Amino acid sequence: MLKVMIVDEVAERAELLQAVLVKSGYEVIAYVTSTFDLYRQVGALCPDIIIIDTDSPDRDTLEHLCVVSSDEPRPVVMFTHDGDVEKIRAATRAGVNAYVVDGMSAARIGPIINAAVARFEQFQALKRELEDSESRLADRKVIERAKGILMKSHSLTEEEAYRAMRKQAMESNHRLSQVAQQVIAMAGLLLT
Amino acid sequence: MSDDVKCEAAKGGEQADSGKRRKFLRQGGALAGAAIMSLVPDAIRQGAWAAGSDAPEKTEIKVGFIPLTDCSSVVIAAVNEFDKKYGIKIIPTKEASWASVRDKLVNGELDAAHVLYGLIYGVQMGIGGPKKDMAVLMNLNHNGQAITLSKKLNEKGVKDGASLKVLMDKEKREYTFAQTFPTGTHAMWIYYWLAAQGINPFTDARTITVPPPQMVANMRVGNMDGFCVGEPWNNRAIVDGIGFTVETTQGIWKDHPEKTLGTTAEWVQKYPHTARAMTAAVLDAGRWIDASLSNRQKTAQIVADRSYVNTDADVIVARMLGRYDNGIGRKWDEPDYMKFFNDGAVNYPYLSDGMWFLTQHRRWGLLKEEPDYLAVAKKVNRIDIYKQAATAAKVALPKSDFRTSKLIDGVVWDGKDPKKYAGGFKIQVA
Repeated sequence: MLKVMIVDEVAERAELLQAVLVKSGYEVIAYVTSTFDLYRQVGALCPDIIIIDTDSPDRDTLEHLCVVSSDEPRPVVMFTHDGDVEKIRAATRAGVNAYVVDGMSAARIGPIINAAVARFEQFQALKRELEDSESRLADRKVIERAKGILMKSHSLTEEEAYRAMRKQAMESNHRLSQVAQQVIAMAGLLLT
Repeated sequence: MSDDVKCEAAKGGEQADSGKRRKFLRQGGALAGAAIMSLVPDAIRQGAWAAGSDAPEKTEIKVGFIPLTDCSSVVIAAVNEFDKKYGIKIIPTKEASWASVRDKLVNGELDAAHVLYGLIYGVQMGIGGPKKDMAVLMNLNHNGQAITLSKKLNEKGVKDGASLKVLMDKEKREYTFAQTFPTGTHAMWIYYWLAAQGINPFTDARTITVPPPQMVANMRVGNMDGFCVGEPWNNRAIVDGIGFTVETTQGIWKDHPEKTLGTTAEWVQKYPHTARAMTAAVLDAGRWIDASLSNRQKTAQIVADRSYVNTDADVIVARMLGRYDNGIGRKWDEPDYMKFFNDGAVNYPYLSDGMWFLTQHRRWGLLKEEPDYLAVAKKVNRIDIYKQAATAAKVALPKSDFRTSKLIDGVVWDGKDPKKYAGGFKIQVA
C-alpha cells in the first residue's frame, strides 16, 4: 500500500482529500497543517508520496529533502519523470504539487494525483464563491459610504449621488465600486 | 489597484481645487479622463511598437517575485512605468516559494522572475528537480543579505564567527542553520561563511531550508540557531528582539551577485525583443532607485506594501539606506549596502559570477561530476540580450566578462580556473 502524506495549511481540504484517499484504499499516514518541523516528520514517517498545496511556502523545505537525499529512495519532484506537461500544468493550476519516491510508476501515482486535483478544484470553487459574495458585500459598503460623502459635501439627494457615480462609472468604463473608491480617496484629500 | 485609484484621485483633486469641484464631481470629467488614460495606452502602445522590426513579441509579461527587498527593481519597473517606455507591461506576480517560481518558469506560467542566481544554475544542471535550459538576463542586485544568529547564542557569548566556533566545539549538540533554497544564494553564503570559521555545514551542523517570511517565526520558537536570508528579514529579527546580525553578505563577498532576472532559454528564443525590453526597463528602474536616497526611501515605501513584501517600511528602509545596526550594540553606516544599479556594475551577467555558483554546487556535492563551467555559464548568461538592453537604456558596459573578487576567507575568485577553485577548499564535500 502506498503511504501518502498530505501537507496543507487548510485543514478542511486536507481532511476532504484524506477521506477520499482512504476510501480508495490508500494509507494516509499523516496530514500536516503546521510545518515547523517538516523535516523530522518526513524523516520519521517515510511517505511514498507527499501531496502539497502548490502555493505553500513549505515547498522549499521539501526541495531540500530532494537534494540532500537524492542517493536514497526519497521524495523527488514528480514532474522530473513525468513527461506529460499538460497534466502537470493542470495539477499546478488546481494547486496540487506532489513529491514522490523516485522510480515510482506514473500508473500508481496517477489516481492519487487525480483525486487530489479534483478535491482541490472543488475546494477552490467553494472558496471563489465565498470570496465573490464577500467582495459584493464589501462593494456595497464602499458605494454606500461614497454616496454619503457626495450627499453631504454637495447637498445631493441619495438618488442624485447614486446617479452621478453610475454615470461616471459608465463613462469611464469602471465598476461602480471603483468609482466609489475614487470618491472616498478624493474625499480624504479634499475634505480633511 | 488602490494605488492607481489614489493617484488618479489626487490628479482629480488638483483640478477640483480650481473651484469647480461640485460641477466636476457631477460630471465626473477628470475621473473619466484618468480612467481613459489607464485604458488607452495599451492599444496605442502595441500599435506603435508593432510598426518597428524590433517590436516586443509579447507585450504583457508576468514576472514572479518573492517578498524580499531585492525584488524592488522589478516592482519599480512596473509601478513607475519604465516598462511602458519599452513597449511592454510588466505584471509583478507574488510567489510563495522558490520551488513555485522554478516550476512556473519551467511550465511557462511565468514569463520571467526575480530569482536566486544559484537556483537558475541548479535547474540548468537538474539538481534535485527538473532540468531545463535556463537564462540569466541580468543580475538584479549586489549585497543586502545577512546571516542572523539567535539571541540565545549571544547570551552564551557568541558575537562573531570565531566565538560561534568556540561554543560549538565546547557545547556539543545539534546546531541548526537555515537557508532559503538548496541550490540558492543564501545556502551558498551560509555554507561559505560557516566553512570560513572552520565549521563544516554538513557534518558539524544541520542545515535546513525555510521560506524567508518564516525565518523569524522559526527562530522565535527555537527551531534554529542561525539563518541566512535577504532583507528585510534579518532586520526584522533584530526589531523583534530574537536575533542579531553576525555577518552581512557583503562582508562575505563585497558586491556579490544575488538575484537575477531569470527565465528559460526557450522563452528568450521565442521572445528575444521582449527579453531585451524587459531587461532595459528593469535597468532603468534600478538606475532610478540608486539615483538618490529619497528614491530609495520611496522604493521602500512602495515595496513594503501588502501586495509586495508586506512588512513595515521602517524595517526595510534602514538597511536600504545603509544604516546598519547589528542588534547587539554595533551601529554603522554601510557603504556596501544593497545596490540595484551602481552605474550598471551591478547588472552585467558576468560569466565569472555564473560559474561561481557552479563551483559551490560542486564543492558541496550538489553536482556529482565536474561540469564544463565556462560552457554552461556562456549558455545561461545571456550577455547578448543584456548588451542590447544596455544599449537601449544607455547603460555602460564593462570591458570583460570576468571580474576578480577576494572573499571573506582571503581566497580570490577570478573565474580563470573554476575546476581548481572548486576543489581547492579545505572544507568541502565533493
